[in-house]
Amino acid sequence: MQRFEFLGRFARNRGALVGAGLILVVALMAILAPVFFPTDPLRIVGLPELWPGEDSEFPLGTDSLGRDILAMIVHGARATLLIGLFASAVATIIGVGVGAIAGYFGGWVDEIAMRAAELFQTIPNLIFVLTIVVILGSTLSNIVIAIGIVSWTPIARMTRAEFLALRDREFVQACRSMGMSDFRIILTEILPNALPPVIVLSSLVVAGAILFESAVSFLGLGDPNVASWGRLVGDGRQLIRSSWYICAIPGIAIMITVLCLNLVGDGLNDALNPKLRDR
Amino acid sequence: MSLLSLKDVRVQFNTSGGIVRAVNGVSLDLAVGETLGLVGESGCGKSTLGKAIMKLVPAAGGQILVEGVDIAPLSGEQLTDMRRKVQMIFQDPYGSLNPRSTVGRSVAQPLVLAGWKPDAIAERVETLLRWVGLPSDARQRYPHEFSGGQRQRIGIARALALSPKLIICDEPVSALDVSVRAQVINLLEDLKGQFGVSYLFISHDLSVVEHIADRVAVMYLGMLFEVGGRDQIWKSPQHPYTRALLAAAPIANPKLARARQRTVLQGELPSPLNPPPGCPFNSRCPMAQERCRAEKPVLRPLGNGAQAACHFV
Repeated sequence: MQRFEFLGRFARNRGALVGAGLILVVALMAILAPVFFPTDPLRIVGLPELWPGEDSEFPLGTDSLGRDILAMIVHGARATLLIGLFASAVATIIGVGVGAIAGYFGGWVDEIAMRAAELFQTIPNLIFVLTIVVILGSTLSNIVIAIGIVSWTPIARMTRAEFLALRDREFVQACRSMGMSDFRIILTEILPNALPPVIVLSSLVVAGAILFESAVSFLGLGDPNVASWGRLVGDGRQLIRSSWYICAIPGIAIMITVLCLNLVGDGLNDALNPKLRDR
Repeated sequence: MSLLSLKDVRVQFNTSGGIVRAVNGVSLDLAVGETLGLVGESGCGKSTLGKAIMKLVPAAGGQILVEGVDIAPLSGEQLTDMRRKVQMIFQDPYGSLNPRSTVGRSVAQPLVLAGWKPDAIAERVETLLRWVGLPSDARQRYPHEFSGGQRQRIGIARALALSPKLIICDEPVSALDVSVRAQVINLLEDLKGQFGVSYLFISHDLSVVEHIADRVAVMYLGMLFEVGGRDQIWKSPQHPYTRALLAAAPIANPKLARARQRTVLQGELPSPLNPPPGCPFNSRCPMAQERCRAEKPVLRPLGNGAQAACHFV
């Protein structure tokens, strides 16, 4: 019953519907990549620098080494989406944990947690990601952790604000008066009420994470065994004056995906915070 | 032995403006099966006192005894035991229930925490909802599907879950429509008759307190001014503040209203950050004299079982 209401509110935002549709396409592409292109996408299959349409075997052309761009885009969707989702999950877990404890307990705990968050915010994000990746090594999981570490602060602030507003509500006092433990109150009573705006923010962090990963890969620090979209852009950058499509195609894929994720975030916001809709 | 015994209880809050003494030395006894009305203006500390008894705010001094046991040092098992005996009903029926929990889950919470078995919990919740007059399909529904009066019934069911001996009612009907108020008050009285539970009934609504309370305590700026039987307080209030408070209550009959003597208080409740020295009421009291500005009165017995804190009664 409540679930249908939620879907109805989400669907009323047309942009969100389009965004969700396209994300679904990208996700399907990622899941079905081995079906469409069973061989390694990083294998050389044809002449180098074939323009899109020049050879019907490679609809999106080939890159400087003669690899199929379409195959790399389809396989890249997998890496890019996984990095986005996992990095956002890391950021959400850290952010919700820190924010919940800071907001619920207040006082010096809050003080320490928020100063720590500020410390993280003062370091330029991209430089910080690059530093972590360089130190830990360019593997997929390290990149995910690095992006998570720089992206948790807004989630922590949002969660803290929600907890501050909820912790003195009477239903929380009722739980305390029954002798419920703090941990249980945080997890089972306050968190479900605090989560809707956090979910919206997390969906936006996915988009941000994809951009971070692209930047890292563009600078050549990405995982060398993974064909993410950012890496394709990076690989094509020497040829940008002659064969600009090598950069442009993965670039457009990144742009569309990030745009769609933002639209979905807006739609979630409408659906989860019904009091704010129709403004 | 009284069920609840307060001895010189103090609660204070440190704010940026200084220390607020919300409860400043309250001593009070509540007998088994008794309903004690705690009345006073907004901000006089009556809700804070209720929360201190629930250990929701820490007491800064004095003793709170439940069945003779000081609750301040309790923890773990003993604290759980105390919480089983004392429960609370909150003022705001919209805020006191988790909007994302079903009614069944909210009512079952104390039972879950007490370690009941799931089938025993289900049975108990059924019974509780019946006692407070809610349909049994209420348990799968969410609080927003209920009216204010019904939600307050849910809150009462939750408070009754573990058969407490004392229920602290923190303005339980002030957020309700007048038409619903009577129903909830009657429900509380019925439950008292059925289970022999005692109430500490905190309210600023004198007509409600007159209806439900056996004894009444009048509070002003963190201290008690007068404690006595309901009839004694209503018929012959001794403290000038009690008189003014009763005079401020509306009377339905205009002839009686015109005939009565009125003491109308001037000014506002002084800031609890900076209460006047001596008797905290001296800035508004029609009888105030030099002594009131110098010396703080203490609650002393008047002979007829009542107590008052004033130099001139």
